[in-house]
Amino acid sequence: MTKNGLFGALALTTALTSAAGIAAAEDTLKLGYIGGLTGYLAPYDQPSLAGVEVAVDEINKAGGIGGTMPIELIVRDMRSETAQAFVVAQELVDEGIDVLITPCDVDPSIAAGQVAQAAEVPAVTSCASTPTLPGVVGDYMFSNYPADNLQAAVLAQYATEQGYKTAYVLLSPETPYTERLPEYFMVAFEAMGGKILGVTEYSMGQQDFSAEVTKISGLDALPDVIMTAAYEPDFPAFLTQLRNAGIDTPVLGSDGIDSPTTLGLGPIAEGVVFTNAGYADEGSDLAAFYDAFETFHGSAAESAFTATGYDIVKVIAQAVQDAGSTDGPAIRDAWDAVKDVPGATGTITFAGGNRVPLRAVALNKVTGGELDHVGTFVPDAASVPGPDEGDH
Amino acid sequence: MISDAKRRALADSAILSGVLFVTSFAAWAFLGRSDQAMITYLLILIVASLGMSSFSAMTGILSFGHAAFIGLAAHLSALLTIPVAAKGMLLPDLPGWLAAVHMPIWASLIVTVAVVTLIGVVLGLPIARLGGSEAAIATLGLLLIVHAVVIASADYTRGSQAIYGVPRIKSIWAYFAAAAGAIFVTRYLAAARLGLLAQSIRENEPAAMSVGIRPVRVKWAVFAFSAAVSALAGVMLGHHLTVFSPKEFHFDLTFTLLVILILGGFSSVSGTVVGAVLVTALVEGLRRLEQSGIFADLMGQSVFGLTDVGLSIAVLWVLYRHNEGLFGHRELSDVIAGWRNTPPKLPEAAAIPEETQAPRELVVEGVSKAYGGVVAVDDVSFTLKTGEIVGLIGPNGSGKTTLLGCIAGTHTASTGTVKLGGHDLTHAAPYQIAEQGIGRTFQTIRLFARKSAIDNVVAAVAAARPQLSQQAAYAQAMGFLEMLWIGDLANRQAGTLAYGQQRRLEIARAMALRPAILLLDEPAAGMNEQESDDLMSILLSLRERFGVGILIVDHDLKLMMRLCERILVLNKGQLIAHGSPAEIRTNEHVLEAYMGRKATTETNNRELST
Repeated sequence: MTKNGLFGALALTTALTSAAGIAAAEDTLKLGYIGGLTGYLAPYDQPSLAGVEVAVDEINKAGGIGGTMPIELIVRDMRSETAQAFVVAQELVDEGIDVLITPCDVDPSIAAGQVAQAAEVPAVTSCASTPTLPGVVGDYMFSNYPADNLQAAVLAQYATEQGYKTAYVLLSPETPYTERLPEYFMVAFEAMGGKILGVTEYSMGQQDFSAEVTKISGLDALPDVIMTAAYEPDFPAFLTQLRNAGIDTPVLGSDGIDSPTTLGLGPIAEGVVFTNAGYADEGSDLAAFYDAFETFHGSAAESAFTATGYDIVKVIAQAVQDAGSTDGPAIRDAWDAVKDVPGATGTITFAGGNRVPLRAVALNKVTGGELDHVGTFVPDAASVPGPDEGDH
Repeated sequence: MISDAKRRALADSAILSGVLFVTSFAAWAFLGRSDQAMITYLLILIVASLGMSSFSAMTGILSFGHAAFIGLAAHLSALLTIPVAAKGMLLPDLPGWLAAVHMPIWASLIVTVAVVTLIGVVLGLPIARLGGSEAAIATLGLLLIVHAVVIASADYTRGSQAIYGVPRIKSIWAYFAAAAGAIFVTRYLAAARLGLLAQSIRENEPAAMSVGIRPVRVKWAVFAFSAAVSALAGVMLGHHLTVFSPKEFHFDLTFTLLVILILGGFSSVSGTVVGAVLVTALVEGLRRLEQSGIFADLMGQSVFGLTDVGLSIAVLWVLYRHNEGLFGHRELSDVIAGWRNTPPKLPEAAAIPEETQAPRELVVEGVSKAYGGVVAVDDVSFTLKTGEIVGLIGPNGSGKTTLLGCIAGTHTASTGTVKLGGHDLTHAAPYQIAEQGIGRTFQTIRLFARKSAIDNVVAAVAAARPQLSQQAAYAQAMGFLEMLWIGDLANRQAGTLAYGQQRRLEIARAMALRPAILLLDEPAAGMNEQESDDLMSILLSLRERFGVGILIVDHDLKLMMRLCERILVLNKGQLIAHGSPAEIRTNEHVLEAYMGRKATTETNNRELST
């Protein structure tokens, strides 16, 4: 073979390969998944990935998106490190993914999202709930989980409906979740006519809440309700010490206490109301999803993050089907307009939400050591505090 | 001309930076963006772990706190470089002047490193005053406190929320420059005067003080330096990530840096760099293996966490096989010399100028030392002039070492005074006493065991005469070694020398101070007759050449009787006799103390002279 011949053959091979690549790209949707599968994010990203797998399997068994386009899922562990999220995001974009799912926390989602944004690849965070995230990264970044301000609005609405006029708030500035969610609650509750009697800060893991409890019992009049986004081990410690001090004011919490520990507190937790992404009523979509999950994985779903993981893929599938192609800008525009996508936790709408979903938030009440489903709500957009409101 | 030690430091730095240059070039020329990001992160890790190891290597104090400086620097540089408009949205409550600042990254680098170094100076003092494990725990406190303060200063840092929109340093060459710079500076410093002094403290703090090294000051300086290197790492990391929150600089980063130090070696700059490369290579290799799906096929499901498992096994293996890390306290040049079997050549010995001391007098007056109710030294008074050799004898437990300690400053006299040439040294610290001209050896040998014999002496020369060039210091040190007849052992590790050689090395180190008075605590212990005779010749020649006054404690009475002009006898803390050897031999109190009975002069003579 002459030199020219060799180069000719090489050029031909390259041409063939890239033609095949294009064909493959149109036949399948390459879905990249970056998660903290090890490290501090594992309790959220592992169940979320398990839910994603269920949805991908379900869609592919039906022939793919729209019956013709199967999904190829490519998974990368970022070890809960922001620097690693950047590296694997670049790796996946270089591999030609069409859509990217980013980890359950803000920093790595921004880092990975910026890579996707630059490549015009739509990206969505599995469960980071900070509502400002999509705005920070840009117009290719979406969020998925019920945002902190959405949960707060549902809690405020519930409190108002119960006739509570005054509230006391316990927050910790150490994480955005434990700080901002209560702050959104304060904005929403006051907008609905409620009054905040006071705010006290705790440090995460402090164990002794006697100072906070004393502040509450020392108020001129006890508040009608106490609201916090504290979770284990702070929430059980606070609640136990509050009740032992003889204060039986109702307590509102958020999805951080959606854990067996809360039910395990027994009579102390009686009456606590908290939000989460969904409640599996008999015959509900969520119950059906949990069945499908068990069939696919051989074990029961460990948390509602499986359901929200499943929902992401359903939304992506809808957006891709509406776009009619795997072209990044087309998917982005279609995604921004999807309405009432049926997910495991209810319907999900992105239209008009600035890439933050308007979706159902479930309210649960601890009753006799069991969870009682108070209801599932989609708050009206007007009552949801803006992402930047109430920041102190 | 620079010293061999510094030349070796430069050679090591050149080799390490050369390897990194080739790696960076390969990444820049041939690799994709994700691999470039991986190499970039490696370069940052090298700077970060050098920040931590420059403190632990030189002082022997394990640090858990340096991630705090990395975080402070990242936040500060972000404040200085984020465009004004974006800053107004991110941090609306910034004070006006800070909100209006917008610097290029290079200017911010200079300001940030300067400010964080200053913070290191302030925070370093309490840590430098503590020793060993207490200091290590204090560094952990530093990490926790800085983390809490950064979160609480939400006006400046957004609290626990992410800072984003930090301008990115794109070029891999900027990161290479930072890594190479950090390698050269830390490796050079380890071989320079500050490094020598710090390593002496690491090896043996009381011995270091006995040659005039001030531990707090040295550890403090090293801490400030390490804060500066960590700040450099923080600036690079912040402008690489472009988005971060305080948790990025907490336990996980500390853990990564610790793994690097454990693998490479806590006490070696080269080891730290190699450790960072190994950890990155291991993690990348395992990650790719994990992604390849081989394990998934084996296990029937996808498995994650191989990198953690691999790192843990590597740490266990290294701790089991080389508990000081792969490099231990050696540097690259030591390893290469070991392979080539060529020990570094001996420096030329300088002639030590034989100027005689100005006559001075050590005056011990009424010194007592009590521990609770036990009186170890009871109202002892004596004098010792330069040029005199005086013996101090007494039964075991009679208080000889305690008395030496009261003179050398390791103990403080309960009452009484110690003066040298009119200067009151009663309450002076050991290093101040060394500076005043009192050198000493220890009853149980205290050498800088893992350093070479010549480095032991150079530390003393460098501490006593900082104005000397390092090359001149080595030449002088060689001169002192030859004076003690151990010049040929200069490159041997001190801890591996024979017992008698170690005793002589201790004397050489003490003599390197050019002291007026030399305190020797049992220098002939464990020596055979030939060695004792040699020691005696050496001590006599030291007196003759330098006019040094010697106070010697020993149980070799034959040596003492021949060597000393005067002998002091302690019993139960009290000075019971004082006189010429002939007088002591016939002193009844002495005999009673030693023999426990009254004896005739005749038997005294016989027993004491054998």
